[in-house]
Amino acid sequence: MAFIKSENLVKEYKINVKKKGLLGAINSLLIPEYKIKKAVDNISFSIEKGEMVGFIGPNGAGKSTTVKMLTGILVPSSGEISIGGLSPYKNRKAVASKIGVVFGQRTQLWWDLPVIDTFDLLKFIYKIPDKEYKKNLDMFSELLEIHKFMNQPVRQLSLGQRMRADIAASMLHNPEMVFFDEPTIGLDVVAKERIREFIKYINAEKGTTMLFTTHDMQDIEKTCNRMIIIDNGTIIYDGSIHEIKHRFGNYRIVEVEFQKEYKNLSFAGVKLINSDGNRKKFKVDQTLMQVTNLINELTQKYEVQDITIQEPEIEQIIRDIYQGGICLDKNVC
Amino acid sequence: MKLLNNTFDTIRLFARFTKLNLKITLEYKLDRTLTFFAIFCRESVNVLVIYFILKKFISIKGWEMNEMLFLYSFLFLSYSLFVAFFTGIREFDSVIYSGEFDRLLIRPVGLLTQIICARMDHCAFLGHGAVGLILFIKTSTSVGIQWTPTNILYYIVTLVGAAIIQASLFMLSSCFNFWAIRTTNLRNMIFFNSRRFAGYPISFYPALIQNLLIYVTPFAFVSYFPAQYFLRKPELSLFWDGFLYMTPIVGVAMFALVYMLWKNGLKHYSSSGTSMY
Ligand SMILES: Nc1ncnc2c1ncn2[C@@H]1O[C@H](COP(=O)(O)OP(=O)(O)OP(=O)(O)O)[C@@H](O)[C@H]1O
Ligand SMILES: [Mg+2]
Repeated sequence: MAFIKSENLVKEYKINVKKKGLLGAINSLLIPEYKIKKAVDNISFSIEKGEMVGFIGPNGAGKSTTVKMLTGILVPSSGEISIGGLSPYKNRKAVASKIGVVFGQRTQLWWDLPVIDTFDLLKFIYKIPDKEYKKNLDMFSELLEIHKFMNQPVRQLSLGQRMRADIAASMLHNPEMVFFDEPTIGLDVVAKERIREFIKYINAEKGTTMLFTTHDMQDIEKTCNRMIIIDNGTIIYDGSIHEIKHRFGNYRIVEVEFQKEYKNLSFAGVKLINSDGNRKKFKVDQTLMQVTNLINELTQKYEVQDITIQEPEIEQIIRDIYQGGICLDKNVC
Repeated sequence: MKLLNNTFDTIRLFARFTKLNLKITLEYKLDRTLTFFAIFCRESVNVLVIYFILKKFISIKGWEMNEMLFLYSFLFLSYSLFVAFFTGIREFDSVIYSGEFDRLLIRPVGLLTQIICARMDHCAFLGHGAVGLILFIKTSTSVGIQWTPTNILYYIVTLVGAAIIQASLFMLSSCFNFWAIRTTNLRNMIFFNSRRFAGYPISFYPALIQNLLIYVTPFAFVSYFPAQYFLRKPELSLFWDGFLYMTPIVGVAMFALVYMLWKNGLKHYSSSGTSMY
């Protein structure tokens, strides 16, 4: 059975519409007017134990809202959630002891106290046995190098250090499932890489189920097999990264430098997307034209100096999807 | 047995949090010391003003100065006790807007327990506590009270009840935060003005205010009736005798009601779009 199951999940926010001016203020106090914002609109998915799922979507898509419902912070407007067979808001405490949560934008640590004090408190709150606590602490210290700033107050930490401490804090009690909401936000390349490595390691080592949101496709590509894309509160893609690349990245960019300037170059299944004197950039649809055939034709018929071939980047594909350039649901288009 | 265990856990958790909160307070020693003195001075001045105004009279409506100050000490001591446990409720709007509440929701501990543990305003606790204690020490022996075991027990239980009454009032206002309605100013106006009235025997006031202080913001059970239990002024015939013993009952009943409302409001909690820090 799936570890997480979400069925027809909906979350509506009631937004108080404030009217302008003094009269408006009095008016909205007496007769409050609400606007309903559907942040999550009928989402269903399930996640198996040990899976690592990337949860992406443009700003305001409803990622954080979904994570907050899954973690028991928000009560869904309708729909069902089950985490290990329990409902996160009806059995809040029971679910809380099974999960860990990291909010990249907001620390869980005690601002004015050294990191280790928060850890000790968490040990107490989650009733973590001494041995397990020490083992995890040693492991996290080694992998995330927390020991270097363990005794510093959190307010003095850099963002990267704070994030590492936050991640460790969320895993001290060996949760079966960890939710990350933008764990790499604002971090440099090296810090991001270290966090990815850590997440991957824990997932492999302990079989921890993980779901994380991010805006960095590298995060997803390097850690997850599965990806859920959400836009406007609905799921528009749920599948492997490999598949999305295969389905929507079935083209290559071929950049050619000719020895002289040719005009009116045209091949079947090939689009000229950039022309700069002798340099031309083609987009090759692989369903219509093999790159090798194109190269043969080019080198036989024209004087070619140099050729480079590029695979499409996942970022580009995702950008296309967000902007509506790629339609995922064939039935609708 | 399970209940006992839970209670024990809660106490230990409270001790842990208290230690950490104390550590933070000590980190900002100077700032907190100054705040403490500011509160202590403000409250002392309030008392002194009353003292100097009323000094001219030997007694008002049969109340002597020491007796009035004894009554006043209930307000301070119960507020101090309230702050010791319910700072998180008093500052609930900031608990929500800072995102701290999200964090409480993902911990496997009861919410009320966490709110009670999470914050403590040491300055107000000590400031009000000190003024209350000074008044209590000055007056408790001179107004002719026999400190029998029964009376001591009454005193303690009533003081706790009085703190819970105030906690209920603050908790009621905190319910509105779930709908993102801020009531802090309105609450402070109602709370602190009621409290000001309750600094004097309620028999000084017209019936309307008396009734407000008994049935609406029941501060009469925080100062007047507890003081009357000990002093037994003849004017007691104005009110039902049972009121003398009602403080803990009023406290617990109010709290139970407000807590139910609070639990219900929780369903409407909508977190915040982004972080505050
Ligand atoms: N507390 C709230 N009250 C009202 N509306 C909200 C609240 N939180 C979020 N929203 C709205 O719900 C929608 C989804 O927000 P959400 O934070 O879930 O998006 P997100 O996918 O996490 O975006 P981002 O990538 O920017 O973090 C947005 O339109 C947002 O304005
Ligand atoms: Mg978000």
